[in-house]
Amino acid sequence: MSEASKHRLMLAIACILAAIYLFPLYWMYVTSLKSGSAMFATPPGLFPSDPQWSVYTYVWETRDMGRYMWNSLVIAAGSVALIIFLGTGCAYVLARYRNRWVDVGLFLILMLQVLPASLLITPIFVGFSQLGLLSTPRTAVIIAIAAKSMPFYVVLVRSTFMSVPMELEEAALVDGNSRIGAFFNIVLPLARNGILVSGILIFMQAFGEFVYSKSMIQNIELQPASVGLNSFMGPNTNEWNNILAYASMYVTPILAIFVLLQRRIVSGLTSGALK
Amino acid sequence: MPGEEQGSIASPGTVSARHPHGTPQKSPNMGATMKRIFSSMADGKGFDVALIVLPFAFLFVMAGLPLIYNVVMSFQEVDMFSLGTFARPFVGFKNYVTLFSQPETWPILKNTAIFVVASIAGQFIVGFSLALFFWTNFPGASWLRGLFLVSWVMPGLVVGAIWNWILSGDFGVLNYLLNALGIIDSNIFWRSDPNYSLWAVIIANIWLGTSFNMILLSVGLSAIPKDLFEAAELDGANAFQRFTTITLPMMRSTIGAIISLGLIFTLQQFDLFAAITSGGPNNSSNVTQYWAWDLSFRQYDFAQGATISVVMIVFVMIAAIVYVRSTRHEVRG
Repeated sequence: MSEASKHRLMLAIACILAAIYLFPLYWMYVTSLKSGSAMFATPPGLFPSDPQWSVYTYVWETRDMGRYMWNSLVIAAGSVALIIFLGTGCAYVLARYRNRWVDVGLFLILMLQVLPASLLITPIFVGFSQLGLLSTPRTAVIIAIAAKSMPFYVVLVRSTFMSVPMELEEAALVDGNSRIGAFFNIVLPLARNGILVSGILIFMQAFGEFVYSKSMIQNIELQPASVGLNSFMGPNTNEWNNILAYASMYVTPILAIFVLLQRRIVSGLTSGALK
Repeated sequence: MPGEEQGSIASPGTVSARHPHGTPQKSPNMGATMKRIFSSMADGKGFDVALIVLPFAFLFVMAGLPLIYNVVMSFQEVDMFSLGTFARPFVGFKNYVTLFSQPETWPILKNTAIFVVASIAGQFIVGFSLALFFWTNFPGASWLRGLFLVSWVMPGLVVGAIWNWILSGDFGVLNYLLNALGIIDSNIFWRSDPNYSLWAVIIANIWLGTSFNMILLSVGLSAIPKDLFEAAELDGANAFQRFTTITLPMMRSTIGAIISLGLIFTLQQFDLFAAITSGGPNNSSNVTQYWAWDLSFRQYDFAQGATISVVMIVFVMIAAIVYVRSTRHEVRG
């Protein structure tokens, strides 16, 4: 078999594997377009014979999705802003020096990264309610997410800073820049891509966050889309087309960002998790 | 470090110009100290300290203190009335004794062990097979491989909703498929049958985590020098021998890191339980990380919730230490 046809065969198998793996995603979109009776048909149709496009506007309006999505956006944007503000400098310092203190700091950061949110929510909830933070629940969730996700961001961005050549910063200092000047004019612009990709990863995580929001936001007006989806899925529900239409609208923006920036996200992720 | 030497050379004039009103009313000695601190902030080691103090203070207050508070609460009696005060009666190890004398504790710990082992095994085996397949590097391989990662970036609740429908008893597509292939002859009620409910979540979790395993394993595979394989091939080693004598040993630290990361992520998995089974029926699919939340926020037993959290956090910390050790040479740079 020639090299080219071998490649073509491999590509075909790879496409089939990807199709099998991504089938649940396809099934979400297809089911959301099915009518009530088509959804429960046996055998289940692989394509919607009579796509019900109106389901999207129907679900968007009846479930007040605009409000849920807005809350998710506020929480995700707030967390990312707070994390970038606090975490970037931290990652820079941890990348710049190699001594015992940096080792200790890194170890603490990695330890905090692994704590499960569902286990930490009990003390956070009790502590926040004592501090009165729960009266502004979205802010409380933003702070909690920032504390949870910042270690991950620091690890990712640190590996970006490590790849910025130290000589460039030294040259800027010799040229009379202050440390602040060199940091903002030389180092940060060079690390911009890594910061952006890590910020996007954090954004996607925070956009789907559930435990903290479910536990701390009682007011339905302030709940994000993940909590809305959870309350939509009652134990004996049978409106799966509507639920999956909700899920589709919730997840499509994230999928769009991911597919557009896939290459960068994957390389940013792998450089941080193992290196 | 360049910054330290530079600190003394660079002009302090810019700094005092930036803070013209900060010093006059103070004593000259004090002013000099302030000036030195500001100049160090802009130009010396103080800059690094300033950058790192705030985030670490934030992490300490928002993640470190809750951790300590969690341990404190596990030794206290907490109810709805004492929730707002710090002065709660201490009860020693009573919460721990209560925890381990409850009939559901051991089954839930066993479920957690099954969930962790089965999820990691499934994710790793499927992920490694896919990584090996995509390693052959045909055109388009890296793009297609990256596409798998969508399962990992999706909100957990959405993954849960999709699998909730796929695993549905009467109309689920998985039951239909298994029926059509002749593997089962009556529908499995994945979510409501106590024998299968835990496996329903495991299946969804394997799907969710496989892609992450696969991507990291691909990175490890591509780091193995190609000439090792060429040499082995010349020596007459077949594909299986090359796999066991080169690939696996060379991947040891990657595999160690991925297994411990898998343990960490699996113990963090909460959303799928909330979306698919809610720990039911009758705790048959309950695991500790869901149970801790359920105790605190469904039964308002915050002390028990904190107690089980402490036990699990100790486990997670051990996994984290293994992870840090297996990536240590890289972490240190």
